[in-house]
Amino acid sequence: MQLFLEQLINGCALGSLYALFGLGFGIVFATLGILNAAHGSYASWAAIAALAAVEQLKLPFIPALLIGVLAGGLLAVVVDQVAFQPLRRRGTGMLGALITSIAFWIILDSLAGTATGQQSLSFPRGSYPGAMFHLGEIPLPAMQVITIGVMLGVTAGLHLLIRRSRFGAAMRAVGWNQTAASLGGVNPRYVVIVTAFIAGATSGLAGVLGGITTHNVSFLLGEGLLLKGFAAVVVGGYDDVRGTAVAGVGLGVLEVMSAQYLSSGLRDGITYALLLGFLLLRPRGLFGSLGFSRA
Amino acid sequence: MKSWSRRIASPTHAALAALAALALQGAPAAAQGLAPGDYKVGFITENTGALASAGQSYWNGAQLAAEEVKATKYLGGASIVLEAKESGSDAARAIQNTNQFVADPSVLAVSCCILSPVAGSVKPIVNEAKTPLVIFGATAAGLPQPPYVYSMTILPGPKDTATAVKVVDAIKPKTAAYILAADNDAFKGRMNATREVLEGKGVATAGVVNVLTKDTDFTAAATQAMGLKPDVILVYATQGAAAGAITALHDRGYAKTIVGNDVLSPAPIFKKMGDTVVGVPFPVSFSDAIVETPEAKAFVAAYQKKFNAPPDIYSAQGYQVVWFIAQGMKSLSGKPTREALGAALAKVGTIEHQVYGGEVMKGGQAETTGTLVVSWSPEGKIVPWVAPK
Amino acid sequence: MQPLVEFWRAYQSTVAFAIVNAFFALSTYSVLSAGILSFATVTYAAMGGFVGARLVLLTGLDPVFLLPAAMLAGAALAYLVALIFLRLDSHWMALASLALILITRVVVINVPSVTGGVNGLSLPVSIPLGVLVLLLLVAIVVYHRLSVSWYGIATRAVREDPAVASSLGIAPRRIQTIAFAISGAIGGIGGMLLALALQFLSPDTYFVNIAFTMIAGVVLGGSYHWVGAIIGAAVFTALPVLAQAVIPDFQEVANGVALLLIMIFLPRGLVDPRAIRLRRAAREGQGEALAAAVPAVAAARRAGGDAP
Repeated sequence: MQLFLEQLINGCALGSLYALFGLGFGIVFATLGILNAAHGSYASWAAIAALAAVEQLKLPFIPALLIGVLAGGLLAVVVDQVAFQPLRRRGTGMLGALITSIAFWIILDSLAGTATGQQSLSFPRGSYPGAMFHLGEIPLPAMQVITIGVMLGVTAGLHLLIRRSRFGAAMRAVGWNQTAASLGGVNPRYVVIVTAFIAGATSGLAGVLGGITTHNVSFLLGEGLLLKGFAAVVVGGYDDVRGTAVAGVGLGVLEVMSAQYLSSGLRDGITYALLLGFLLLRPRGLFGSLGFSRA
Repeated sequence: MKSWSRRIASPTHAALAALAALALQGAPAAAQGLAPGDYKVGFITENTGALASAGQSYWNGAQLAAEEVKATKYLGGASIVLEAKESGSDAARAIQNTNQFVADPSVLAVSCCILSPVAGSVKPIVNEAKTPLVIFGATAAGLPQPPYVYSMTILPGPKDTATAVKVVDAIKPKTAAYILAADNDAFKGRMNATREVLEGKGVATAGVVNVLTKDTDFTAAATQAMGLKPDVILVYATQGAAAGAITALHDRGYAKTIVGNDVLSPAPIFKKMGDTVVGVPFPVSFSDAIVETPEAKAFVAAYQKKFNAPPDIYSAQGYQVVWFIAQGMKSLSGKPTREALGAALAKVGTIEHQVYGGEVMKGGQAETTGTLVVSWSPEGKIVPWVAPK
Repeated sequence: MQPLVEFWRAYQSTVAFAIVNAFFALSTYSVLSAGILSFATVTYAAMGGFVGARLVLLTGLDPVFLLPAAMLAGAALAYLVALIFLRLDSHWMALASLALILITRVVVINVPSVTGGVNGLSLPVSIPLGVLVLLLLVAIVVYHRLSVSWYGIATRAVREDPAVASSLGIAPRRIQTIAFAISGAIGGIGGMLLALALQFLSPDTYFVNIAFTMIAGVVLGGSYHWVGAIIGAAVFTALPVLAQAVIPDFQEVANGVALLLIMIFLPRGLVDPRAIRLRRAAREGQGEALAAAVPAVAAARRAGGDAP
């Protein structure tokens, strides 16, 4: 029983990373209609930026985390304006955006490899909260608590932003039809930039937290998150952040439990089979709405 | 040799000439036979991609060796020039690079490969083109195929078992759990070999926890392994996975012995893992901290000076590739051909210039004797492993 | 003469890989020309590659005789995929095909009796470059005949607007299923050819990296004509080799930058039938041809602008 609870908590923490990443990915997909293959690189680079802040500038945990988040957001804006904006003007559609995002994926990943000296780096001990709490007999590292907490907070914040604020309404309007939105008094360019920033920032958050907990800061960090985050978006429903969060955590728990109780050879297979199943049978995901809205 | 007679004009040059003559005496009739000039060896580098940190070590070691061969005039007036082509550990690129090297008539030999499947793909090409291939890193047994395929990798398998036995004899555990990189066949073989020996010694297997080489999160695997309540955990995984698993185990408070493998030996591992890797025993064929012979000491000093970092087992293997080729070339005369070099390499028994304290070639495969079981000390030095009280 | 021979020997494997990639690009183009973005070529290639390799190892026959088996295996799998996936909206189709590739790798690892599992499969048989060129020529003839046939017109119609096409009596689902079958056949052949070129198969051989390369090749070459697929594949295979020769330190980044530049400046790819038609119209006479071309351009821009 104890083992089950331990693994459950592990799954929730892992899933929270997937959820955080999926939130950003899903927002871009739902609002801007772009399947962004470079999204994982934002996470890798945010982790690298945070590590640099810790090692070069000797900053403590929270400022370094904020620097990482900022880096992720800014990178996303740059990529959006350089890569996707010209395509938007031309109305090229999903394929063009996908290919361009692949181009940036290649560029950013190989630059990240050069930045880390092709190694997998770690955050030095002491640069992040390392306390170990105990829930009875079960060890609970502080980072796991932080990850789950952050995920819940960000999900709630994004949900309120998208559903209850004027900016959220503007985001959804731009996602439906940019021209119509601008007719309604929305500045689409501004909305697009802020949306890209938010997406990159959440990806960066996932990257920094992931880089700390897995002791792995390298270009591989983003790639691992990309596939699982994508699955979270599909299973949860691309246009509802709560669905993405639930699906992300669910996938994390499923992954850990199937490795523990079934076989880790099938671990990824189960995740992808679930992904495929949802795509075939219920493409809108668990909580998504019918109708495909994209730019 | 013309340049020498012109230079013997001043006393300094005479002294140099005397020294050079002394050096040459170590390699008499043969060096005079080999025509002077630069001889190209094609080196398929893996300086980018997932294995780049090891790849760069191999390449650095090879470059240092080529410099030394030239500086010590081991081959007389001849020297080895390395030409690099990057493969990023990708089989298709390695094949294309090999074809390009083989098509260049000035390339005498080729060196490649960390991944055994890639080495396997390259073998038929060099066999057909009758060009010697010296493998610097692939760990699968059975790759060498004289006269054209050789391997300077010190196979880690037998060292693993010796280490496990030494640890088990010292701490006498009742049960053992294994953490295995399930998608790496070489590690699977090594784990099974050790497991058989340990079970024969009465250490029951509590279970095997599977991870994947590309995994980044090991909390679940560590929890799983600890849930088996073993007295000792043995880790059989590549560098990233092994480091991750051991760190996760220590993070969750596992206090008993963990047995690592040779991937823990490079210095960046201590920098990355810090005190989570202290005290974990692992075998090492070469370490810059435990050097006995003068060649090894000179190698460490020269490498540190040139690359501003200490050498590791991968640097040593890359280094030996070039010295092995040089040793083969030394026995040739005139302008060497690829076939002649292949035949010469097949005849090499004991490696003359090596940093292990003893290296021989058996059937094209390099081997060293003895296993050193070491661990990292809290100060970041490699020291012989001592069992915990 | 000698430098030519050396050059050939050095780059013949690059040419071989370019031809293999051309097959993959043609396979992707086949479904793209019917309006579907699908990465499933990778799965068909895996099917053809492993089935073909196994048969070669079991029977010892010359691989050329076993190519039809790889082709049929690929086509059969593609037909199955079409039955299940064609119900999906085109955007979900792309995601589903991506998921299919991920699952393919898991399956490959877990069926060692066929695929050799994690160890991979060694295939000590090769195929002469001449045979590869011959096969490519056959494929070219087939694609040309298809594009000028009723099928070609039907696919263009389905791509532009499936609703209009069906009102004209063309069954989009049927055309798309045929497109899938062709894609599977060509993909299966390509997969087996890749196996013969590498002489070693591992679970990573048929995975996401070639998926993105082949789609980039199709888009780069021009996704509106089958010639574009071949040219794009050739360019995309040669690019890394060129980058390695010219700027070895930044070769990886160079590929991404090249792709980015193409997408920004030549989004319809290198071979663009519309651009060719417009240029021809402009050349043939300023006034009348232009006046006639304007409505055509307007229509094409409306249609071409948001088609995938």
